[in-house]
Amino acid sequence: MGPAPAGEQLRGATGEPEVMEPALEGTGKEGKKASSRKRTLAEPPAKGLLQPVKLSRAELYKEPTNEELNRLRETEILFHSSLLRLQVEELLKEVRLSEKKKDRIDAFLREVNQRVVRVPSVPETEEILQDKDGLNQRYFRKRALYLAHLAHHLAQDPLFGSVCFSYTNGCHLKPSLLLRPRGKDERLVTVRLHPCPPPDFFRPCRLLPTKNNVRSAWYRGQSPAGDGSPEPPTPRYNTWVLQDTVLESHLQLLSTILSSAQGLKDGVALLKVWLRQRELDKGQGGFTGFLVSMLVVFLVSTRKIHTTMSGYQVLRSVLQFLATTDLTVNGISLCLSSDPSLPALADFHQAFSVVFLDSSGHLNLCADVTASTYHQGWSLLWLQVQHEARLSMMLLDSRADDGFHLLLMTPKPMIRAFDHVLHLRPLSRLQAACHRLKLWPELQDNGGDYVSAALGPLTTLLEQGLGARLNLLAHSRPPVPEWDISQDPPKHKDSGTLTLGLLLRPEGLTSVLELGPEADQPEAAKFRQFWGSRSELRRFQDGAIREAVVWEAASMSQKRLIPHQVVTHLLALHADIPETCVHYVGGPLDALIQGLKETSSTGEEALVAAVRCYDDLSRLLWGLEGLPLTVSAVQGAHPVLRYTEVFPPTPVRPAFSFYETLRERSSLLPRLDKPCPAYVEPMTVVCHLEGSGQWPQDAEAVQRVRAAFQLRLAELLTQQHGLQCRATATHTDVLKDGFVFRIRVAYQREPQILKEVQSPEGMISLRDTAASLRLERDTRQLPLLTSALHGLQQQHPAFSGVARLAKRWVRAQLLGEGFADESLDLVAAALFLHPEPFTPPSSPQVGFLRFLFLVSTFDWKNNPLFVNLNNELTVEEQVEIRSGFLAARAQLPVMVIVTPQDRKNSVWTQDGPSAQILQQLVVLAAEALPMLEKQLMDPRGPGDIRTVFRPPLDIYDVLIRLSPRHIPRHRQAVDSPAASFCRGLLSQPGPSSLMLVLGYDPPQLYLTQLREAFGDLALFFYDQHGGEVIGVLWKPTSFQPQPFKASSTKGRMVMSRGGELVMVPNVEAILEDFAVLGEGLVQTVEARSERWTV
Amino acid sequence: MVARRRKCAARDPEDRIPSPLGYAAIPIKFSEKQQASHYLYVRAHGVRQGTKSTWPQKRTLFVLNVPPYCTESLSRLLSTCGLVQSVELQEKPDLAESPKESRSKFFHPKPVPGFQVAYVVFQKPSGVSAALALKGPLLVSTESHPVKSGIHKWISDYADSVPDPEALRVEVDTFMEAYDQKIAEEEAKAKEEEGVPDEEGWVKVTRRGRRPVLPRTEAASLRVLERERRKRSRKELLNFYAWQHRESKMEHLAQLRKKFEEDKQRIELLRAQRKFRPY
Repeated sequence: MGPAPAGEQLRGATGEPEVMEPALEGTGKEGKKASSRKRTLAEPPAKGLLQPVKLSRAELYKEPTNEELNRLRETEILFHSSLLRLQVEELLKEVRLSEKKKDRIDAFLREVNQRVVRVPSVPETEEILQDKDGLNQRYFRKRALYLAHLAHHLAQDPLFGSVCFSYTNGCHLKPSLLLRPRGKDERLVTVRLHPCPPPDFFRPCRLLPTKNNVRSAWYRGQSPAGDGSPEPPTPRYNTWVLQDTVLESHLQLLSTILSSAQGLKDGVALLKVWLRQRELDKGQGGFTGFLVSMLVVFLVSTRKIHTTMSGYQVLRSVLQFLATTDLTVNGISLCLSSDPSLPALADFHQAFSVVFLDSSGHLNLCADVTASTYHQGWSLLWLQVQHEARLSMMLLDSRADDGFHLLLMTPKPMIRAFDHVLHLRPLSRLQAACHRLKLWPELQDNGGDYVSAALGPLTTLLEQGLGARLNLLAHSRPPVPEWDISQDPPKHKDSGTLTLGLLLRPEGLTSVLELGPEADQPEAAKFRQFWGSRSELRRFQDGAIREAVVWEAASMSQKRLIPHQVVTHLLALHADIPETCVHYVGGPLDALIQGLKETSSTGEEALVAAVRCYDDLSRLLWGLEGLPLTVSAVQGAHPVLRYTEVFPPTPVRPAFSFYETLRERSSLLPRLDKPCPAYVEPMTVVCHLEGSGQWPQDAEAVQRVRAAFQLRLAELLTQQHGLQCRATATHTDVLKDGFVFRIRVAYQREPQILKEVQSPEGMISLRDTAASLRLERDTRQLPLLTSALHGLQQQHPAFSGVARLAKRWVRAQLLGEGFADESLDLVAAALFLHPEPFTPPSSPQVGFLRFLFLVSTFDWKNNPLFVNLNNELTVEEQVEIRSGFLAARAQLPVMVIVTPQDRKNSVWTQDGPSAQILQQLVVLAAEALPMLEKQLMDPRGPGDIRTVFRPPLDIYDVLIRLSPRHIPRHRQAVDSPAASFCRGLLSQPGPSSLMLVLGYDPPQLYLTQLREAFGDLALFFYDQHGGEVIGVLWKPTSFQPQPFKASSTKGRMVMSRGGELVMVPNVEAILEDFAVLGEGLVQTVEARSERWTV
Repeated sequence: MVARRRKCAARDPEDRIPSPLGYAAIPIKFSEKQQASHYLYVRAHGVRQGTKSTWPQKRTLFVLNVPPYCTESLSRLLSTCGLVQSVELQEKPDLAESPKESRSKFFHPKPVPGFQVAYVVFQKPSGVSAALALKGPLLVSTESHPVKSGIHKWISDYADSVPDPEALRVEVDTFMEAYDQKIAEEEAKAKEEEGVPDEEGWVKVTRRGRRPVLPRTEAASLRVLERERRKRSRKELLNFYAWQHRESKMEHLAQLRKKFEEDKQRIELLRAQRKFRPY
């Protein structure tokens, strides 16, 4: 073990892009800080905006040069499109090491090599290593001693800024030495020293996967079972020894193949980025860059990759290979020789689940990928790699415009990729688990690393128990930290937390039953053994008596958390891991959308009940007799009817004593001496009547006819079905089973009548007017959207939760009124319809995190957000819409959402948000996301999950505090009050002869007045769900003194300034107006006078 | 800043309140409880020669900056200056009286008021001059004439908004009767005019039958044009002549170039935003 090979290894180890990481991290952080930490409300929207390209005719149609034609052709063949080519080139520029840095690194390497050679009194290899050192960890211990000796000497050298140890690929038997230069290059380069034995020191035949090299007698101090049964094989141990012997030849192989073509190098760099974004290479036993480089070499050797291919094509080919080849069944080998003395692939398959042999034919490169187990062929990581590769291939095949970004630029941290996450802590519990699971051979093989030993069996157990509820299970272990050479190495239990990610299968989630075999079948015993006391005999409807496990879950949210029950039960039963060590993160956010009374449900059931009631009502409408025209369609047009109302309505029955009554109109009224009654929002239903020549062709007359229909509807519904109704000119309110619906009669041609303009020549043309657009939106587009999202909910049961959580958050940040309800619903729908690079969320938690990510990273200025409902838009149409968008960007709202029904105008964002509000939302989301993710990934428990829902109040100029007595939705507040006022409802729903108080919400009425009176001086922010405070922000521009103008005196006063008369806002009077307008509701008006200057 | 202004106002209350040229300022407060006041800026209504205005000259007081809680009580507040004939509140100054037709409360609900302007017509011109000399401060809500605000107002507004179906029915019926009558008259008139030449001798011919003729709408004419265009393009030969071939190739190249330029621009933008750092 002389120092000579060290130099070789050093060169190999640094030639690959791994060393670039520290350099990138160093500069990357600064850039992020500078760009995101801004809390300015105003930003000029014109900056960084894409302009439509204008090329002159001459430029467009000039004769092409040969070079240009070549490039165009190359782009077409080697890349997908010119955009992709440019993007890939840019990315490679970012990750490639610059020549200058390369020189500095080379210089450092030469220095290191010299020092290592000069280390005094290094014994010769022959003196250290002896025969049979492969046995019983003897080799590893000598290797560590040798390294300690080197470290001792090198640490005294002033060349090095830091000298410390770390483990090679997390293997605790194999430390390596990390050397970093002193001075400014400290973060640029890290050199790893791996000591290796001479290449032919160990005989490969002794290190076959079937051989034992750790004797039980030595390891456990006793012979196995004492009855002469064979020693268990130690495939992992053998692999670790072999890895050292072939390290050098691997590096040579890589450098010969990869340096032969630039495309291969580019491809490997892209693949490493791909792995890193998915955290596949992270932690112990990851799918490393080395592995994927070897895979490229393999594909070159099998001619699946050609040296003329571009980096993008290499990436694509490797992904294709990963997606379609199952290495757990058909292992691959780089070894070309057909020597019969070589071990067979089958031997390896027995020992490892994933098999990829190196060129020597003895070493399985994927040994670490397999979670250590030799009798259970299971590799979570491999499944995850395959899953990711398949998703990526789908993405590439879908020819999405931003495929590049989704594939290579979007990080997929575990908490955002998996529906539920669970942490196992403390890890020392796993030691007991190993004994319980009888994993002694594994422990022996892993040299006592009980975490690695237990990982495989535990995950297999969970996988089996979760069954149909699970799509994919993944694990992540934090990398073992480096440690100083003067310190003790970290222990297994110190290696933090074992984190598992669960990707759930929505179809499997709905069932509360695990159906077992029939009681008299032989499998029944096995089933009983697996589920323990939870398994019971049950008689089913078909008469069969079966073993079964039934989980208690009444609501959808509880059903989503059945995996939690399964996991804790199985871990406690089979692995002795108590519930206190399992920290399951699946539903902490549910609390924010839970209804008031039933804390166990997140409202899905209440929504279903409301929708069912609506279905009944629409049947009644269809069957109504005596209407002059027949009903042609009944459509829902309310968030409840698309499952996105944050707090769904519950059936109500009023306590009459709480109200004033208006007998002659059979209505209830709020009473002055009582707290504000409960807020009841009628659910809008649009009822289309058939077209007929009888309809007048005049807008005013149509209105009157509609009013007549509203009256008639109320009459008929009362007569024929005994429903309590109240008609107005524009709608009819119907009380049915405790729910209130607002039926709006619509006439299909009315928008057209509103649009008609007659030119002087008598030609009738159609021009959009404000009234026609509003009517079209309310009676045509809104019902369409509602039914489309209703459909989406049927496909993705988590949609409701995600959309409601998202809206809850936006409103809690006091920004709710800047966004139309529908626009936020559509953003949530986009998470399900365009989940790439993820899969559609199956839990509200993960969906909400992705919502925050989307909002904080989407470039609204230059892109429309596509929400391709029912997949109606083709790729070509999307391209066309995109170019139309760029051309018309200036006229479009700041936030543009495109749906198949709304391709150009972005109806739902026309009235807001403004650029400032959107910017504020982006800033808040960017702050909330890392905070929330950190909370959820904290294995000690998420702490106070409501933190990210509390709005920052320090940015407002004035705070108006409201009295809870008159806030009807007070209990919906983020920090729900322990006690609130009685709101005049009886607990038992039942029929009511009087119409409820509808839509009476004092804070909203107050806000309308404030906005009307002071809208051009200030902005008002409020959380409609029980907010106790209204934030007021003065508009800086209206505080500039202005010359007197008769048309803009609103709330201003004249004062003389420098001899000139100017108008300024009359702030003192306005502050008092705030209190006057909200008399009874407003508690205090808190002005922070230092924040404004007139 | 604000504090300083308060001091100024407190120091010399007798001093004239600053007001723009031609206007007088009258302080107005909601009630006695309030400290600070808004200012009504008032002026005798007058227009330049030649401009038409429906408001009677000399008797009309033009009031700016009427606070939102002062909608009904303005006439009471100004009645100290003389008998008020009418008060018209508007969002913006407008010379003509707004159409006085009775706006139905069912079909045109009253909007929420903000700060408004008012035209107050006195019965005598003396009212205007008296108003201009008012010192104030005017109090909108007093013990004898309380004005509702906040919860009181919202509850009474809610009670007012509960509709009376009978009144609505009556209104609809009257309107529709008038409408039907109007339509009938128009039809009768059209029938009368049928076949009768106008003063230039033209006769208007209208076809009334089961099958409607092509309506004279823009959409219909566009449809016709589109149909024509499609018919023509079906007959045209594509890539038949050499020049056509050449041109379509060139067109393809131009498209690619354009796309390339667009892509370059996009890349430039992303690079500026440092969007190519993978992590």
